[in-house]
Order: sequence, then structure tokens, then C-alpha cells
Amino acid sequence: MFLMFVVWLVVFIGIFRGWRWTPLLALANLAYTLLMLRIHMTDPIPLNF
Amino acid sequence: MTTTDADTLQDRWAMAPDRAVFWSRLINIAALFGLIMVLAGSLHLQFGAGEQPCPLCIVQRSGMIGLAVGPIMNLLWGLSPRHYALSILAAVVGAAGSTRQILLHIADPNDPGYGPTVLGWHLYTWALVTFVIAIIGCSVLIMWQAPFRAGDRGVLSSPGRARPLVVGLVVWLSLMVVVWMFVDLGVIGVSVLPECGLGECPDDPADTNSLGNLGGWIAVLSVGVVAAVVAWLLERRWRARSAV
Repeated sequence: MFLMFVVWLVVFIGIFRGWRWTPLLALANLAYTLLMLRIHMTDPIPLNF
Repeated sequence: MTTTDADTLQDRWAMAPDRAVFWSRLINIAALFGLIMVLAGSLHLQFGAGEQPCPLCIVQRSGMIGLAVGPIMNLLWGLSPRHYALSILAAVVGAAGSTRQILLHIADPNDPGYGPTVLGWHLYTWALVTFVIAIIGCSVLIMWQAPFRAGDRGVLSSPGRARPLVVGLVVWLSLMVVVWMFVDLGVIGVSVLPECGLGECPDDPADTNSLGNLGGWIAVLSVGVVAAVVAWLLERRWRARSAV
């Protein structure tokens, strides 16, 4: 989950620097966020968090 | 607002030569400011009240930051339907996280929910409301074609008072991400990186010593002040360069 924030920071820097692949990186980070959610859903966690 | 008022506002802020672009930028700035306030609120909750974010909260935060990428690209690169589409996708991801959390807590009628409430609703419920409003708002803005036809290239290529404002907001948001990464996730939260590595985090993170209500707000606002100074310095540098 730490990585999500690192990538968002790179995305912000990319927007400032005008890197054209930044939208793709943002999309990849959204996919990674979804993956984290999916992993969390399959965890044997108590019904609260 | 009358036409004359709008003209004056447009001239005073030198935001855009085209009326549609001007209003569209104003909406994007308002959206970006709103998102920063939401994220600042969660930052305050963390440092002011000592509430550490749960994994689902972090997923929603990531969605909220992703939501801001669309307005930032619109403002810095120029208005485009692709940027709104990116925000819609981020809102869908964030909404998936908040819906998951709502469903978890309504499964048991005796479950009091997780974390504090605002106006009777938990923060994850408000997050879902925010994501749904964002999806509707972006969809409506995509249907408004006039700003896209104007060939806007963003505030970075058009000097004016809007530029330091937008740059300041983006730096503010970036600094908040840095604060989360290195202060929250690194030091205060007994550190997510050593604890969870690059995977997920503990389900019920322990609360930490907080800075208190006032201290929390000072911490959040000081990030904004630093952002304003950085934006001012960048603007001064760009102006000096263009003057040469």
C-alpha cells in the first residue's frame, strides 16, 4: 500500500514535467489499488475493517 | 453574475482567453480545492485525533488522490475528455473501496461502524457520496464540448494569476502525499513499510499519540503554507526566465 502513494507522487511529478506516459502510470496505479482491495477482500478478516 | 462581472473576473485573473475555458478551469480549480480539503480533513483526523487509517481507508484515499489527477491534468495540460475519464475511473476504484466498507458494516445490525462520524454518517459513507458526485460531475463536464474545442493548452503555457494558484494547489496535494508516505506510513504509524512491505496493512492499526485538534490543523495548514511558498518561488523563476 506504501507503493500506491509513491506512484501517485511520480504521477504528480510526471504531470509537472509533461511526461506523456503519466496517464498510463495513473491507470496502472488505479489497477494496483484495485488489486490491493481484492487481496483485502479475500483475507480472513473480522467483519469490521 | 452578470456578463460584465464575469468579464472583469476573467480579465482580472487572466485565466483564459476563452469564456468556456475560463469557467471550465474555475470548476476544475474548485474541484481540486474541494478534494484537497477532503484529504486535509483525513490528514487532520490522523494527526489531530490520532486515528490511523485502515487498509480500506487507504484504498479510498488512493482513489481520492486519483480523482484529483483529472483536474490537475486539465489545468496544467489543457482541458480534455480523457482527463475527466481518468477521474471517473479513479472514482469507480474509490467507490469500490467505500462500498466494500459500507457493506461490511451493515452486514451486522449491531455493528456501530468504524471510526468517527460527521453529521451522522461515517467517513466511508461520505467518501462514497463524494465519488458518486465526482462521476456525475465529470460525465456532465464531458458532455460540455465548448471548452474542448477551444484548444486549451493549460496554465503552464499561459502566464497569469491562475498559474501560481493552480501550481500551489498541486504542490499542496503532492506534499500531503509525501507527508502520508514518510511521516504517517514511515514513522508515526509504527510504519507500514516494515510492517506490511509492499502488500496490505494491518486491519486494525493502533491509534497513535495525536497532536491535538489545534496542532492537527496547524500541521495540515503548514503544509499548505509551504506549498504556497513553493508555488511563489516557481512562478518567480518562470517569470524571470520569460523576461530574459
